[in-house]
Amino acid sequence: MLPEDPEDLDPGLAAERTRLAWARTAIAFAAVGVVMLRARPAAGAVVLAATPLIWALGGFVSRRIHPAARARRLLLVTVAVTAVAVLAAVAAVLAHGPDSLAQLRGITGGPGHR
Amino acid sequence: VSAPPPGPPPAGDPHTPGDGTEPDARFTLANERTFLAWNRTALALVVAGLGIVQLLPPFPGVPWGRHALGVPLILLGAAVSVTAYREWRRTQTALRRSEPVPQSVLPRILVATITGVAALSAVVLLVSAVR
Repeated sequence: MLPEDPEDLDPGLAAERTRLAWARTAIAFAAVGVVMLRARPAAGAVVLAATPLIWALGGFVSRRIHPAARARRLLLVTVAVTAVAVLAAVAAVLAHGPDSLAQLRGITGGPGHR
Repeated sequence: VSAPPPGPPPAGDPHTPGDGTEPDARFTLANERTFLAWNRTALALVVAGLGIVQLLPPFPGVPWGRHALGVPLILLGAAVSVTAYREWRRTQTALRRSEPVPQSVLPRILVATITGVAALSAVVLLVSAVR
């Protein structure tokens, strides 16, 4: 007879799902890097270089690590994603050359641009 | 990352999510997957913002249109990632203390973001059509 919760069959399934979630996160990270590569090759290269790090962090899923080490691992992901967002925001503001400052003045309702 | 022996964490460690005892590994893993899913959502917001600013052609008559849509999306991506970490900690603390898991504010942030971007898109398109 089967247990009510399928995970009682094999608790390793939860660890496997979590490893896959790490892999998807690393792939999403790489996708951002590829998009950045187009306009800001240096920034895109930095993001792509950080992708294997996220992938590697997924390798600790099923190890017994200290709760503080687990928290630090996730903090690293948040720091990486936030850094990418800041890079992307800078790239977006600087996009379209010298014209972009005039565009920003347009956003803030400043003078001199329709 | 070193793997010290499991047990009560040393007091005063700023990275230890609360007191109590280590919960069932499956709860910890589910909490971790939720955190990762929100970070992928954050990355999707960033890539959407980048795509709008860098890949779309400009809106006729609305030179600020792409920046007005893209830059807030990117900044909200950063906010979602930071909030996801804070909520992961809160949830992990609740699990360690066998307390109810606190409600997440992230769905509300996401709804507000999507609604705001949709409304702003409509405004940009309308202004572009009028000019």
